[in-house]
Amino acid sequence: MFEKSWMESWQKLVNTNGPMSWIGKHFTTNLLFGFGETEYVIEFYKGKIANIESEFTPETCYQLAIKGPAVSWEKFCQKTPPPMYNDIWAMAHPLHGRLTLEGDQMVLWQNMRALCWALDRMREI
Amino acid sequence: MGKIEPITGRYVWVPYNGTEYRIFFEEAGQGIPMVCLHTAGTDSREWRHQLCDPAINANFRVIAIDIPRHGKSIPPYDWYKEDEEYKLTAEFYMGIVMAFCHALELDKPVILGSSMGGNICLHLAEKHEDELRALIAVEACEHSLGWHIDWLRHSHIHGGEAAAQSVFGLMAPQSPDKYRWETWWYYAQGGPGIFKGDLYFYSQDHDFRGRTEKLSGKVPMYYMTGVYDFACTPEMTEESAAKTKNSECIIMEEIGHFPMSENPELFNSYLMPVLDKIVAAS
Repeated sequence: MFEKSWMESWQKLVNTNGPMSWIGKHFTTNLLFGFGETEYVIEFYKGKIANIESEFTPETCYQLAIKGPAVSWEKFCQKTPPPMYNDIWAMAHPLHGRLTLEGDQMVLWQNMRALCWALDRMREI
Repeated sequence: MGKIEPITGRYVWVPYNGTEYRIFFEEAGQGIPMVCLHTAGTDSREWRHQLCDPAINANFRVIAIDIPRHGKSIPPYDWYKEDEEYKLTAEFYMGIVMAFCHALELDKPVILGSSMGGNICLHLAEKHEDELRALIAVEACEHSLGWHIDWLRHSHIHGGEAAAQSVFGLMAPQSPDKYRWETWWYYAQGGPGIFKGDLYFYSQDHDFRGRTEKLSGKVPMYYMTGVYDFACTPEMTEESAAKTKNSECIIMEEIGHFPMSENPELFNSYLMPVLDKIVAAS
């Protein structure tokens, strides 16, 4: 799970999702996702995943890093996720700390609906 | 003729602390008055299923209110020139709820509140135990931190969508999509800064630690919390209930922070035994 081919399956689901075309109209940013030791920088452009970068260079940039243990993400991705793992804000809430947010959190709050909708597609892989 | 629901909506002018508040409420049923308090940033529509449940309104006059600045209850006329941003306090919240009960001349009502409406039940038990019949504190505990944040009223962020999406994960994935997204819709319609202001009460002004165990237990308290509530977890509720005299703690499976609106059928199945006990004791 979370290997490059898995990420590309997610990319396809996001990019062909109907509601994402209007929910994500203004969702353009680069986010780093950390699934344990495995990390990717995802380029979102107008709600679509334009690029998945797994090899970082000194020029690699992103606005926000969303990181958690792989086991937390695996629970998040279950068809019916267990309590406290069904939502990124549930996992990142100060009470629980299963996910960390590093960087510009404004981009998260500005695009939370589109981002959450995109993440929900992980449960369809 | 279309299907008409049994709910009636009305307005009452409620004097409180030198101001008259125009408060909207919906009601249905007859019997023991039961005042339903909505969650932060939203309004009485959350209770529409309980208002329409014949098993509930056979014995209860179910009354769901919009507290001032929510739903159809307008803010005080000078809201736009207040020196400080809106912050709900325990004192105002408790005061306006009791003033509403007095304005309707309710005889020892039951209070059924969720989230911040559940948390205020502890304050009501402390200050108004002689005037109340029972308290049903849904998704409540003595202290719940972490929600009074500026992102919820920020000029660069869509307040409605941010409020709605930030609470969406508080609902259980097993709850019907149609009701989860209806709850999302309610949240997207709150007034600017109101959700954040309510959360001042929820996460800051409501800190009952050290007081819960001092409640007399004169008025029975029923705590009800869903397992998917990550803001007020079952463990937090159980800890508060263990300190509350004459209380009962009910943990609800496959439900989250908005039981009455996210999964009304399941919630009502947990609620009915509580209501039966209140009827039996009356």
